[in-house]
Amino acid sequence: MLRIRLHGRGGQGIKTASQILGTAAHLAGFQAQDFPLYGAERRGAPITAYARVSKNIVLERGAIAQPDILLIGDETLLSDPLASVTEGTESSTLIFINSRHPSPDLKKHYQLESLPVQLDISGLCQKYIQKPMILSTALAAVGVRLMGHIGLHHLLKAIRDELGQERLSADQLANNLKLAEEAFQKVPSFDLEFRKFDDGFSASHLVVLERRPPVDSVPVIFATGNMALRKTGNWRTHRPVIHYEECNGCAICYARCPEGDIRMDANEKPVIDYDHCKGCLICATECPKHAIEIIREVASWN
Amino acid sequence: MELTKNKQMMLTGNKAAAWGARLAGVDYVPAFPITPQTEIVETLSQWFADGHMNGKFTNMDSEHSMFMAAGAAAATGVRVFTASSSQGILYGLEALQTIAGWRVPLVLVNVSRALATPITLEPDHNDVLSLRDTGILQLHAETCQEVLDYILMAYRIAEDPEVCLPVLVNLDGFYLSFTREPVILPDEAEVRKFLPLFKPSQPVFQASQPMARASAVFGGGNYSYFKIQHHLAAQNVLTIYKKVAQEFGERFGRFYDAVERYRLDDAEYVFVMSNSFATKGKAAVQHLRKNGIKAGLLKLSLLRPFPSEIIGEALDHRSKVAVIDQNLAPGMGGIIYPEILKAVYRREDRPEHLLSVIGGLGGRDIQEGDFISILQRLDQDPGDDPLFLFDEKDLKQFDQLRQIAGFSREARVS
Repeated sequence: MLRIRLHGRGGQGIKTASQILGTAAHLAGFQAQDFPLYGAERRGAPITAYARVSKNIVLERGAIAQPDILLIGDETLLSDPLASVTEGTESSTLIFINSRHPSPDLKKHYQLESLPVQLDISGLCQKYIQKPMILSTALAAVGVRLMGHIGLHHLLKAIRDELGQERLSADQLANNLKLAEEAFQKVPSFDLEFRKFDDGFSASHLVVLERRPPVDSVPVIFATGNMALRKTGNWRTHRPVIHYEECNGCAICYARCPEGDIRMDANEKPVIDYDHCKGCLICATECPKHAIEIIREVASWN
Repeated sequence: MELTKNKQMMLTGNKAAAWGARLAGVDYVPAFPITPQTEIVETLSQWFADGHMNGKFTNMDSEHSMFMAAGAAAATGVRVFTASSSQGILYGLEALQTIAGWRVPLVLVNVSRALATPITLEPDHNDVLSLRDTGILQLHAETCQEVLDYILMAYRIAEDPEVCLPVLVNLDGFYLSFTREPVILPDEAEVRKFLPLFKPSQPVFQASQPMARASAVFGGGNYSYFKIQHHLAAQNVLTIYKKVAQEFGERFGRFYDAVERYRLDDAEYVFVMSNSFATKGKAAVQHLRKNGIKAGLLKLSLLRPFPSEIIGEALDHRSKVAVIDQNLAPGMGGIIYPEILKAVYRREDRPEHLLSVIGGLGGRDIQEGDFISILQRLDQDPGDDPLFLFDEKDLKQFDQLRQIAGFSREARVS
């Protein structure tokens, strides 16, 4: 069996990528299984999807702890410990990263055990479909190519099948097929060996819980303000930026922010908490002076 | 898409359920969304709108109205489908109990999701088992294929003139509902031969033929009469199920006994499981067999009526049996365990050890190592206390959560 894990953010087509992979494998005569775990179910929040490809019936279900292939659609996730992107990887795990940085730099920067495969598929997506962060087609193409065993024609048929359900125009579909072809050809094939059943497994370390008093055994939250511990700022695809010279301090953005991420400072001007702002952009829409600009987030490092 | 021949495609459990309803040619779908079921009614809604399905799709204002509408429509003699999950099932429970007593045929799907509190989205079976005693029949699916096939079989059972009862098909949230795997969509004409369009033989609401249903009775004797009849009808399904499964198998090549005996013939250790985690049990059995341990698995598919005789027979001469309940009745233990005990109690060749295991609560994964732990416990005298599948990793993760939530005994008790 080959186990593939895909990481990205809500809205980037990560689930669709896993489905294209699954369908391509199925068309090529393999047994396949694919599924997403939505996490926070929000645009921009980390999402994981999985695919299993096997010559025999798949007798596994649920999350893949030790992937053979790791497809990382959004590089920024590597810096988010809560996304646990590299969890369960070994030196033999084939890691792909959508990035502009060369492979050796990625290995060093993210302290990876092995040299990852790198390609700027966002650039390719921009070129063919003018949407740099809709990664479904390109990420699936990379996955299929890395894995090997599945031909380009099966990949293209899978894209037609899967995107056909999304009601794309004929032009959009044609561009996706071209995109897939280029992504497919730009990465090497490793023709990975199908892993056999592991040789042994040992008993799990079960624990016997003792009864605790209600104060320590019911789902109550005593800590106030702990929402702030979850920094949701990296869910943003777009950043609201206040132009203070145009701001009249009316505080409408402060009142409308659904997350309470805008405070009014001593000069009665709003200040955005970028650690937590999810980029819903309600503030920019509501600002009567149009003093809030919308800027696309481009996360990278130098 | 016209299905003029069998077609295999990748489908989620939810999509397979929607296909089941579509191939059954249902006339009426009252609907209300709830995660992880929503994809079923969303898909059906689209198909009705696009003209792939004929009939009526109605968004209701709650699960309670939805199940009531489903029962009422079934009482007029049309084919009805509906679906829900978890808290939705609980909210509709009053209606479900009521329509079961109406003795009307319909099929409903439950996508298992553990019950609040605490709130979660992942599966266990306390939701579906809260319907255990309603008299609604239950089929539990392990795979996406079974979801589709059971729905077709469920209509045959529900609409049998000797039965006239709602049938529930259960599938696990996430592990099946959002998981795609290859599913054979059977040829529509073949389905129609197996399941002709619904022509009720029992009395139904019709113009110029006045009739009252849902009547009140005074006196426990009258009440008892109807309840005992309900029980006898449900019991009789054991025979009808066999006939329907046989015919389904002959027509479509997939045979579903009331239980599945997986490598049971010479098994010394048996895991009794149901639903999607049975797949994990099968993998463990394969692995144990490779290592020379004679393991097997008994999968429960038909939960109501409970096939005691079939289960008892399957467990004869199996010395060590673990019943894995993916549910918990606090103050009692696993819900299925006592039912298995009942099935084996009077048998001479009953298992030596019958261990109660509780695992997979709230979707907690059951891992390979857990099966080894179960074997180890079976090799000792397993005793009466259930074995909980909860390990050091779970505890470590929980300790992190309790820190964030700010509860520690030391801080609070003062």
